Amino acid sequence: MSVEVALEPELDRLEALWSDGLADAYQAYLPGVDQPKLALAAALIEVGVRLQGLGGRAAPPTTLLVGDLCLARGSRILADHAPLAVQVAFARAIESLSSAAAAEEPAPASTRELLLQSLGAAR
Amino acid sequence: MSPNRLEFSTTSPTQFVDITPRIQEAISRSGLRDGRVHLQSLHTTLGLAVNENEPLLLRDFEGLLERLAPAHAGYEHDDFARRFEIRIDEPVNGHAHCRQLLLSAFATLLVEDGQLVLGRWQSVFAVELDGPRQRQVAIQLEGVFATHVREPAESLVELELARQLLVDPEPIASPMRRLIEAGGKRLRPRLVQLTSAIGPRTDPLRAAELAAAVELLHNATLIHDDYVDESTHRRGRPTVAAAEGAERAIAVGDYYFAKATRLIAQIGNPGVTSAVAEALEAICASQIDDVALRGTYPGDRESYLRVIRGKTASLFAAACASGALLSEANADVVAALRRYGDLLGTAFQMADDVIDFSPSSGKTVGLDIRQRVLSLPLIYAAEDRVVGPEVRRLLAGTLGDPEVGRVTELVTSTDALPRVRREAQALIDEAVRELEAVELDGLRPVLVSVAKSAVDRSS
Repeated sequence: MSVEVALEPELDRLEALWSDGLADAYQAYLPGVDQPKLALAAALIEVGVRLQGLGGRAAPPTTLLVGDLCLARGSRILADHAPLAVQVAFARAIESLSSAAAAEEPAPASTRELLLQSLGAAR
Repeated sequence: MSPNRLEFSTTSPTQFVDITPRIQEAISRSGLRDGRVHLQSLHTTLGLAVNENEPLLLRDFEGLLERLAPAHAGYEHDDFARRFEIRIDEPVNGHAHCRQLLLSAFATLLVEDGQLVLGRWQSVFAVELDGPRQRQVAIQLEGVFATHVREPAESLVELELARQLLVDPEPIASPMRRLIEAGGKRLRPRLVQLTSAIGPRTDPLRAAELAAAVELLHNATLIHDDYVDESTHRRGRPTVAAAEGAERAIAVGDYYFAKATRLIAQIGNPGVTSAVAEALEAICASQIDDVALRGTYPGDRESYLRVIRGKTASLFAAACASGALLSEANADVVAALRRYGDLLGTAFQMADDVIDFSPSSGKTVGLDIRQRVLSLPLIYAAEDRVVGPEVRRLLAGTLGDPEVGRVTELVTSTDALPRVRREAQALIDEAVRELEAVELDGLRPVLVSVAKSAVDRSS
C-alpha cells in the first residue's frame, strides 16, 4: 500500500514502518476519523508502544528510540490537529498502558481499543 | 530543633532503601543552612548505614548479613513455646534482630550550605531486615536556618512537581520522585517561569503548572536516555533502568511523557502545546542521530551541532517560547526568546562537555568518552594535527580506564577546551543580543544572568 501524499512528510525517518504494520494500523483507525492525520497519529502511537515493548520485554535501545519518535510524532500531530478532548484522551490511554506495565499488571484493554476510544472522545 | 518522620514501605525481606534524597529534601524544606541531621530508626529490625549505592555491592552486603546471621540458623527468639505474651502474628525474625545488632539504629550527618555533607560515593540507607513493612525513621535537624528558603516561584514549581507525583501510582511515581528529588538545575522550568512574566497576561500558578510539566517531560526523556546509554548513575543515584530494569524505565518514561503532554494540553493554549510537542519530536529524532553517529565516533562539528540543537537546545527554546506564549507576549518577543533559548541550550551543552574533563566537577572525569557520547572538545582534539591520530586510534578501540585517562590527557593538552569555552561564550553573547531588540518588561537582566550562569559553572 502506498503512502498518501499528504501523510508523507509525517513519516520522515519512519518510512520503513509503513509496510511493517503502520499502514495496517492506519487503515484500522481511518473509518473513525474526519481527518486522516488523526488516524496516522493513532497508528504511530500504537506502533510506537509496540516497538518499545511496553508491557512486555524491553526493546533494544535503537528500537526504543524509533518507538519514542513514533510517540512524539503522534503526539505532535495531535497537538496540531486534534481537539483538546482527543489529545487528553490519548495521553490518558498511554498513561493507563504504562502504569499497568510498570505495575506488571495486564493492560485495561488492548492498545487499539484504548486509542479507538480516544479518537471518539470529541464526539 | 525540627522534629519529623521519614515514612516509607519496603518490598523485600532485606532491602537497602536509599533515603539520601528524602533527607536532602527535608533539609531544603526546613531551610537548614549549617548544622546537623540526626536520624534514628524506630524499629528493632531496621538499621541505618552509610555506604555506596551500587546494586552489586548491595547484594554483597545482603550476602554478608546472611552469612553472619543466616535466616534459618535457628534462634531462641523464634522458639515461641518458651516465650510469653507473644502476638498471634509474631514473626519468625530472630535473624533480623541479630542483623540489626551489626548495623546502627542512629546516624548524625553534617549539613553545610544547605547540603548534606557526603563523600562522592556515599548514600544513606535505611536497611530493611524483616520486610516487607511500613517503616519510619525519625529525623531532627539542628543548626542555623535560613529565614528565606526559596524564591516563591521556584517553590511553586517544587510544590507542583510534588503534587503531580502524589497522585500517580506508586510504581510509576517512586522512580520519578527519586530522580526529581536528587536535584537537577531546574533551568527549563526557570526559563518557563521567567518568560511567562513578560506578556500582558501573567498567571504564576499556570506558569508553575507548565514549568513543572516541562521538567517532568525532560526527566522522562532522561529515563529513556539512561537506558539507551547504559548509564548506571544520574545525579549521584542509580538510574531507573539500573535500579529497576529496562521494562520499568520504559514504562515510567512513557507515563510521564504522556502525563506531561496532557498537563500542557490542559493548560488550554494551543501555541504552547505545539511548541513543546515540536521540541519533544526534535529530541527523539536527534537521539536517533546521536546513537547513529557513535559508529563514526567522535564525529564532526556539524553533526554535533545538529544533534545537540535537537537533543538539548530544542527544549530550552520551547521553554522560553511557551512561557512567553502563555503570557500572550507579542510574536516578535516569542520569536526572540525562542532564539535566545536555542542559543542558550546549545551553549549549555558545550559547557557540559567541558565539565566532563574537569576533575573538580564532582562527576567522573571522561564519562562522555567512556559512554561514547558526542563531545565537542573530543571532536576538536581528534582533528588536532599533533594528538589527533592517537585520539582517533584510542577511540576506535576498547575504552577502559587507561584509555579514557589517556584521551582525557590528550584533550586537555590541546586548545580544545578553551576553544569550546570561547564558542559557548560567543553563543551566550549572541543570545543576549537577541534580548536587546525586544521589550521584556524589565526581565532582561535576569535572563542575561541566567544565560551567563549556564556556561559559567563548574558542575
